[in-house]
Amino acid sequence: MTIATRLWHTGFVAGVRLQLAIFRRGVDYFLALVTVPLFTIAFLAITRHAGRPDLTSYAVLAPAIVAVVGMAILTSGEVVTDDRAHGRLELALAAPSPFPVIVLGRVVTVTIVSLVAVLEAWLVAWVVFGVTVPVPHVAAFIGTLAITALAMAGTALLMSAVFVAARSARTFQNTISYPLYLLGGAFVPVSLLPGFLQPLCRIVFLSWATDLLRSCLSARAVVNFWPRLGAIAALGLIGFVTGCVVLVYVVNRARATGRVGHE
Amino acid sequence: MPPAVEIAGLTRVYPSAGKGAPPRTALDGVDLVVDSGEVHGLLGPNGAGKTTLCKILATVLLPTAGVARIDGLDVVSRAREVRSRIGIVFGGERGLYTRLTARQNLGYWAALYRVPRRAAIPRIAALLDRVGLADRADQRVETYSRGMKQRLHLARGLVADQRVLILDEPTTGMDPVAAHDFRALVGALRAEGRTVLLTTHDMAEAEAICDRVTMIDGGRLLGTEDPHTIGSWISAFERVDAQPVSAELAAALATLDGVGEIEPIGDGAVRVHTTAEGATHAVLRALVDAGVSTITTGRPSLEEVYLHVVGARGLAV
Repeated sequence: MTIATRLWHTGFVAGVRLQLAIFRRGVDYFLALVTVPLFTIAFLAITRHAGRPDLTSYAVLAPAIVAVVGMAILTSGEVVTDDRAHGRLELALAAPSPFPVIVLGRVVTVTIVSLVAVLEAWLVAWVVFGVTVPVPHVAAFIGTLAITALAMAGTALLMSAVFVAARSARTFQNTISYPLYLLGGAFVPVSLLPGFLQPLCRIVFLSWATDLLRSCLSARAVVNFWPRLGAIAALGLIGFVTGCVVLVYVVNRARATGRVGHE
Repeated sequence: MPPAVEIAGLTRVYPSAGKGAPPRTALDGVDLVVDSGEVHGLLGPNGAGKTTLCKILATVLLPTAGVARIDGLDVVSRAREVRSRIGIVFGGERGLYTRLTARQNLGYWAALYRVPRRAAIPRIAALLDRVGLADRADQRVETYSRGMKQRLHLARGLVADQRVLILDEPTTGMDPVAAHDFRALVGALRAEGRTVLLTTHDMAEAEAICDRVTMIDGGRLLGTEDPHTIGSWISAFERVDAQPVSAELAAALATLDGVGEIEPIGDGAVRVHTTAEGATHAVLRALVDAGVSTITTGRPSLEEVYLHVVGARGLAV
């Protein structure tokens, strides 16, 4: 059995294909990309006004990261709440494919597609401000983006578990973003945050990802690339495994309490 | 060979819904056997426990006590294997990705049921043709009528060629023509040797398509009947509304064989409740002979039949 066949049988490919089909039918999931030009213009205007051209890459990277995280959080919430509201969650749970893998397929698709935000931010910087942000370590940058997207998908799976368990998941969905941006160093590098916050940041995969991406945008050599990339992957994997365990638990609990469907 | 569906002592109690509210018993020690190749109806009013039973068989709800097996496989301990063997069709319009096309919907569900892509493509085309949606296969589901969505649901339930189908109120909201076509489809499934467990609150539907019909109410099975018996109940417990009916005429009607209660319903009108097949005919003749011109007949509700039949038997079915 080939890897593709195995993935098909687990429901992962079904999740990917479903999400791609949904993308083609509506723009809802792409709303986070609308904010990218706005954030990019705002951040670049600030760095320009402050006379800090050295922070240009930071100002361009931040909106892209915000969009990637935002789309992942949106999807992890919508996949469950929307399916529950429309009577599809029960049918998915009644199918032989494991539910966490179906969700993972959908979230991975979203996070990979969300990487278009990086191109968008770079394009806006060039079109609006005439700024070209060089990427001296292209391969490392692309590799870090790819691992970041996968780690984000793993973490989003954990969030999906919360959405299965919680009926008022929208509140969680709306409030989790900014703590994640802060602790993940999306707006401000972790090293500039108050000291007591920094250890907390280090258990968030995004903090490693944003630091490494900024390093890849610097002309200097990227120090400890592989260990740092490994940290992103490991924390993403922990999120994925924890998400699987929690999702299986809450689904089984919902089966026991009879709260799978929408009431 | 084990029965397609085997249920013993199945009980489901939902936890209290709030402060002071007692736990709700949706199923209370249900025993049921559905043989392979049988179309078995589960007939009961809303809230009888039909959907709870379907959800337990579909593995999305755990029983509080008792056992349920599909093809001899326990729905709790061997849920994964059970899921591959059953097709689920819940009633209503929900359960579909309405922005996607019928073909895309079926493609997704085929993948979840691990149908190889190469086999899925022709099977989906054949299913869409079978349920009469081939011409609309590539249009968004949100443009479909309710009947079309329900037919798509049935196709979804068959996408992995499942031999056991659980149809929960599949004709809810369908117009009569669509419901008729749907029943024809169920008949074709029976001809293929598939097992169908179908829930309904429509006695005529149960009579038309089932091999056996089990009545359920309040989470308890009241008994299993031949569908012809259901048909005889429908014709026996008809009601005739007539106006104007004098007191003398009402008294005369009450003496006819098979006439139960004569119920005044205002403005000189009465409702005649029959209790035996053929009684309606005699009542209509008497009314027409007396010159009554405003006459309507109606079928009994399920609750009325329960009141007559189950009440008479004291639940000792």
